[in-house]
Amino acid sequence: MSIAPAEQQTSEPDVVEAVDTPWITLVWNDPVNLMSYVTWVFQTHFGYSKQQAEKLMMDVHLKGRAVVANGPKEQMEADTEALQGYGLWATFQKDV
Amino acid sequence: MAHAFTADGQELVAIMDEDERAVVAGLCLQVMDLVAPTSTTAKGDPSDPFEAIVAGLGDLATDTEDGAAGLDVPDRAFGLDHDRDPALDRLFPTGNREDEQEAAEFRRFTEQGLRQRKHQGLTTTVRTLEAADDDRWVVTRAQAPAVLIALTDIRLVMGERLGLRTDEDANRLEELIETLDADDPAVFALSIYDFLTWLQESLTQALIGEDDE
Repeated sequence: MSIAPAEQQTSEPDVVEAVDTPWITLVWNDPVNLMSYVTWVFQTHFGYSKQQAEKLMMDVHLKGRAVVANGPKEQMEADTEALQGYGLWATFQKDV
Repeated sequence: MAHAFTADGQELVAIMDEDERAVVAGLCLQVMDLVAPTSTTAKGDPSDPFEAIVAGLGDLATDTEDGAAGLDVPDRAFGLDHDRDPALDRLFPTGNREDEQEAAEFRRFTEQGLRQRKHQGLTTTVRTLEAADDDRWVVTRAQAPAVLIALTDIRLVMGERLGLRTDEDANRLEELIETLDADDPAVFALSIYDFLTWLQESLTQALIGEDDE
């Protein structure tokens, strides 16, 4: 990393971006959880439609993981905790 | 012979005899020991092969380190500063796979609460099993989520004991089980695991089916 000369610092895009960067909640594939159950969890916890929940479930199953929610960090932490409560492996991270 | 869950008005009912109910209730109690917030190290009676399955005392023949996908097993303990029972790492996995500090903080703030909720759900499940009358295991729609989660938690622990960590492991397990003696503990464990899978699938379908009406 380097420090830019003072006269070139006309704006602070990095800082603004950091504040606006949304966080995401991911669910990772595992061989134990049932497809029907995972779909039910997405419908129950997020209130997603069956179609939406099934698409996310298939993404987890086929791609190994899926972004199931995005928003402020606190909300993503709460979603992660709730989904782990259902036995899904959920994690949260900054959306990059 | 057990009958899967079907919806009967506001109730979801499975037919299970006393032995079958005792197996599920016994597994609930074992996982309760595992998740108890003040987790003791009491491991039950190691001479009982059934208890040993969940307590993780004996190594099952199916849990091999050199599985085809051995190197791809994800690190669920990221951010944890000590080794512990891998089943706990599956029940309470890391909440952040990129930032160790975030992971440790998330664990500190959530794990005790998660342990408590899982313990309660397993307790609810045992109560419904004990209340069974005439082999009818009755779960109300309000109780169904707790029972679904309890069945999930038991299957996660048993899956871990069986070495079931990736989709590839599932295939490997099917092949491996064919080569084992019928009285191998792993064969017994897998048959119970499959029974719980069948039960959970039927309870999920019974619950969702009601939603569609």
